[in-house]
Amino acid sequence: MEVFGQLAGGFATALQPINVAMLFVAVVLGLVIGVLPGLGGTSGVAILLPITVFIAHGSLPGSDATTAIIFLAGIYWGALFGGVITSILFNIPGEPWAVVLLFDGFPLAKKLGKPGLALASSFVSSFLGALVSTILFTFFALPIALKALEFGPAELFAVFVLSFATLIGLGAEAPMKSLAMLALGLLLAAVGFDTITGEQRLNFGQTSLLSGISFVPVTIGLFGIGEILASAEEQGIGFVENISAKLGLRDVFEAVRELRKRLRLVLSNAIIGFFFGVLPGHGATAASFLGYGLARQYSKNKENFGKGEISGIMGPQAAADSAGVASLVPMITLGIPGSPTSAVIMAGLFIWGLQPGPVLFIQHPDFVWGLIASIYLGHLLTFVLCLLAVPLLAMIMRVPYAIITPFIVVISIIGSYSLNNSMLDVFITVIFGLIGYWLRKMKYPLAPLVVALVLGDSTERELRKALIAGHGSPLYFFNSGLSTALIVLAVVLVAIPLIRTIRARRRRAAPPAATAHP
Amino acid sequence: MLIAAVAMFDSRAAFSPSAGTQVGDVGSRWYPFWAATIMGIASVVVGYRALTTPQGAEGAFEGARSLFAVLKLALPMIGYALLIGGIGFRTTDFTYRIVPQFGFYLATALYMGLFAWWLGRYKIWWVAAITVAFPIVIFAIFEIGFRVSLPKSFLYSSGLLPF
Repeated sequence: MEVFGQLAGGFATALQPINVAMLFVAVVLGLVIGVLPGLGGTSGVAILLPITVFIAHGSLPGSDATTAIIFLAGIYWGALFGGVITSILFNIPGEPWAVVLLFDGFPLAKKLGKPGLALASSFVSSFLGALVSTILFTFFALPIALKALEFGPAELFAVFVLSFATLIGLGAEAPMKSLAMLALGLLLAAVGFDTITGEQRLNFGQTSLLSGISFVPVTIGLFGIGEILASAEEQGIGFVENISAKLGLRDVFEAVRELRKRLRLVLSNAIIGFFFGVLPGHGATAASFLGYGLARQYSKNKENFGKGEISGIMGPQAAADSAGVASLVPMITLGIPGSPTSAVIMAGLFIWGLQPGPVLFIQHPDFVWGLIASIYLGHLLTFVLCLLAVPLLAMIMRVPYAIITPFIVVISIIGSYSLNNSMLDVFITVIFGLIGYWLRKMKYPLAPLVVALVLGDSTERELRKALIAGHGSPLYFFNSGLSTALIVLAVVLVAIPLIRTIRARRRRAAPPAATAHP
Repeated sequence: MLIAAVAMFDSRAAFSPSAGTQVGDVGSRWYPFWAATIMGIASVVVGYRALTTPQGAEGAFEGARSLFAVLKLALPMIGYALLIGGIGFRTTDFTYRIVPQFGFYLATALYMGLFAWWLGRYKIWWVAAITVAFPIVIFAIFEIGFRVSLPKSFLYSSGLLPF
């Protein structure tokens, strides 16, 4: 099989000393970021993104773009595991995907007095979920990419439209808010030079805006600063209970035994999580809730859920980690990020001078396979570190607010400045931090904004290329079967929530209307 | 949980007209115009819905305390960003500097120190230690380790400090 040869090559790349070292650093950073409640995986990746530019360009001996992606992805793996630690031990979710673990993880640790078992079950199932997902990744990535190579502008545009449609259609409760954020993202991406004609637009006469609003300071602001501001409000709650965080080998063995009883649940959740994660716009968070729902649905003892049922830990964890890994699949193969975090990683690829998408597999096979191999290694490393270092990680919760908060702001500002050596970027970060905080308060989803900002230029380019090729006729998109199918699917996806809300409203409106007109 | 209807409507409206002005030629203006239009329509719908759905009495902030908690963080941050570049204003002929350029490191020292002293209420030597230690560590990691050049202060240009 060709895949195994490629994968072996990937392992050779990933096992180079510098790559292993950076993976280790990244995983530790990711765990720390995961544990800190004020700082999420996406923010962490965004804040550290500018540093990877220096890694990719060889600031460290022997480092290159592969080292950079291994580093960025490693942070994500660390955060995927680390977020649950505080959920289980302190009842404070370190990451959005760890919220589910409050239901059963914390009760098992606190009421039933088995924090070690709760942690170990979570790590074991995370690891297995990620492993399943990575194996699927290994075998699916190349075929998808090869198929995508045949795409023309019409198909590419249709794929973009489909990914936007999933953001609106499957995105939680407020499709109109998603649409507004999506359009804002496209709009921000359009600032500066027009990609096709080179005309200036939307810069209001400012030369500094000509190069466009770059993605990195906006993301650092929206996620890094925005999250810090949002968590400032909850500082009164920051009370940390002293709970034993020891994790013994006995806990691990017990967790493995429990895992064997639930192997079918964990494996099926991992597979579902993978396909869920591949869909654009959904990362680990949505998958974790889905995983919990499935675990409950198919459990024989539903009444135990919410009281410390191990399935309630293993189900969501397997799905969340699997989806987290899977969200990289469309990013690498098609150039469409599956989650906000992978959108940030994709922005990294652009900055390092790589074009995400099918061509990557042909031009830089060592990069792609190095990344895939590093996912195996990264998860193994994270798993081992988690088992060893839980007490240390739990101590991070005691780092005082007055130091950690300004420090995150400082790191964010270094990040946004150093990319282009521009003070304008620093101000963009600060302004978008305030905007991001406000949007969070108003319950606007940030994922569509970020995804649209990253994809904006390519979407516009493909759309206009297609229009030029079709002599301005939108019918050009229906020339090929594939693009027609994708666009129809996109329309259906957008229509689903619309129909659902209209129906719900009719049902609600019906009884009062009947009484009003007897 | 609850949405402050009016404020949200304002914040949406503030975004859309900024670009909706680009009506006209189908070339490069066409695409942002439609993006702005879609956003305008979506924001009108959201605004309409927020105005028509019954709201609780609570505003966006749960009391003045949480507003204060956010401002405590936001205002120093803005000040910090301004300090790095120095505060001044520019006419076509002259640049006036009211506050000299503090550069990244001095501004960071002040900023971290302020938090340790004001929010952390640490003993004065701890504040001093934080003020000195963080810029030096950051200098070692970024300037020397990653070879990133961050903005230098007015003391750098006069040769007093390495940053």
